[in-house]
Amino acid sequence: MIEINNVSKSFYSVQALDNISLKITQGEVVGILGPNGAGKTTLFRLIAGLLKPDAGDIRPLSGKWPTIGYKMERLLFPNRLKVSQYLSYVAHLSGVPSSEIEKTVFESLTRVGLVDQAHQPINNCSKGMRQRLALAQALIGNPPFLLLDEPSNGLDPGGQGEMLQRIQDLHAEGKTILLSSHQLPEVTQVCTQLVILNRGRIQYQNSMVDALTVSPHTIITADRDLWEIAPSLEALNPDVQVDGRSVVLRNEAMELRREILARLLQEGYDVVHVERKQITLAEVYERAVLS
Amino acid sequence: MNRILTLTSYLLRSLFTSLAGVIYLILTLAFWFILFNPRQKTPDASYYILVIGLFGAALVFLITLTNASRANKVELAPWLVRLPSRIEYLTAVFLSSIIAAGILQLLLALLSLISGPTLTFSQVLGIPPVWLSTMVVTAVLALHATDLVTHGWSRVYVFGILAVLLFGRSVTNQSISGFASNLSEMALNRGWYEISESLRNFAVAQQGSDTNIISQLLGFVFWPFQALADGISGGGFTAVEALAPAILLLYAAILFVLAADFFAAKDMQMTE
Repeated sequence: MIEINNVSKSFYSVQALDNISLKITQGEVVGILGPNGAGKTTLFRLIAGLLKPDAGDIRPLSGKWPTIGYKMERLLFPNRLKVSQYLSYVAHLSGVPSSEIEKTVFESLTRVGLVDQAHQPINNCSKGMRQRLALAQALIGNPPFLLLDEPSNGLDPGGQGEMLQRIQDLHAEGKTILLSSHQLPEVTQVCTQLVILNRGRIQYQNSMVDALTVSPHTIITADRDLWEIAPSLEALNPDVQVDGRSVVLRNEAMELRREILARLLQEGYDVVHVERKQITLAEVYERAVLS
Repeated sequence: MNRILTLTSYLLRSLFTSLAGVIYLILTLAFWFILFNPRQKTPDASYYILVIGLFGAALVFLITLTNASRANKVELAPWLVRLPSRIEYLTAVFLSSIIAAGILQLLLALLSLISGPTLTFSQVLGIPPVWLSTMVVTAVLALHATDLVTHGWSRVYVFGILAVLLFGRSVTNQSISGFASNLSEMALNRGWYEISESLRNFAVAQQGSDTNIISQLLGFVFWPFQALADGISGGGFTAVEALAPAILLLYAAILFVLAADFFAAKDMQMTE
């Protein structure tokens, strides 16, 4: 869909993005993670064309720029307009034929569950409604590429679940989505690609499947602290690590599971829990950001 | 075109349903009451055309600043993203300002006809080109003064050049001669004898000359404004003066292309 080549952007002395390269292909849901000030919103605004890169370029892979639906992080609207009026303007600007404006607006409102609020002034809308309205305007005109900057920010758990379902539906329809979020479970569930930004640089980039299947490990939890036998367990393999009541086995050390279980029972410990785990997105994020 | 009209209608609606719109309406009525009070004696046609034309120019400047400020709000960023070209956005701001100021100017013009001057048919025909060309060039100039269009130091360059032209227009032979004499002395002190001599000769020539080259050259840029004023106050335009509105529109076109260029290349740092 689009390709970002060696893009840098600074604001006065602050380097917001530093030599970013990224390819977003058709049908992908790319999750952009990063702490506040990492450059996520700057990246969105560059792709949306609101900002111009200082260096590098952003170009469509197919030669023609896709239509972009942009849901900003800030939920700001022309407050004096009603919900349906606002969406009518967006529909006109998106090139929807006049005869289909009403139908398009209705479909969009239905999709985000705002039909009952259609004639309500935006000024009276709650934060949840505004999030849905922001998504509705991004969906008007059926753009193939969506930029969703923190779509579930400030929503209650129910609202977050609904937003997650909507993004999954959009993915199923074949939309290409660039999603920024601080909600790691949301990113884990909907994204097919993962990009972690920190201080304007890409610290980590992988497919979500590959990101979460690296570093499998087994955790054996005993009934009490293992400090007495920690040295002898850790001496078995460098990838064996004792932490309080738990023994963590990584990589080849996972083969030693039976031996460690036997040793624990032999030493009079009771094994209360054995779990084979994959790395979590939180761990991937923490490693990328801390590195 | 449909997109431009949609944005234009939004900006017009936004203006006329806001306090700023009401203030502009009150300003128009106050202007009418003060300068075209129906209880006073009838002003002549040239006064009517000139004063309302100037009012329209001043009003379109202010309305363009207001509209551009509204268009520069971050809440409209998703709309801007939808447009195939940023120029459509700028055109809508320009168009909405012209329409809004035009409506108020027309209101003033109609109100001022109450106990106002009797206009001949040829005078009525002459009004639209004069008022419209003045408004268009002023609106485009106002665009350059807005945060929406300003790109880097562009505002300083555009208005700096304008200030230099205005200053140059009013410069006298005496001041040119004095300036050339000072330069001549500086050149002499540095040992640049030939340059000093040339400058001194130029200073002497200017002192005794009736023609002011610099003033004439720079004043040429402002000729259309002078021609319009002369044509209106003289009660009719000569063939050459009649070209003035067209030249003003040419200026507006050049300035709009420049504004479009700045706007297309700039970072949109929209306000909240």
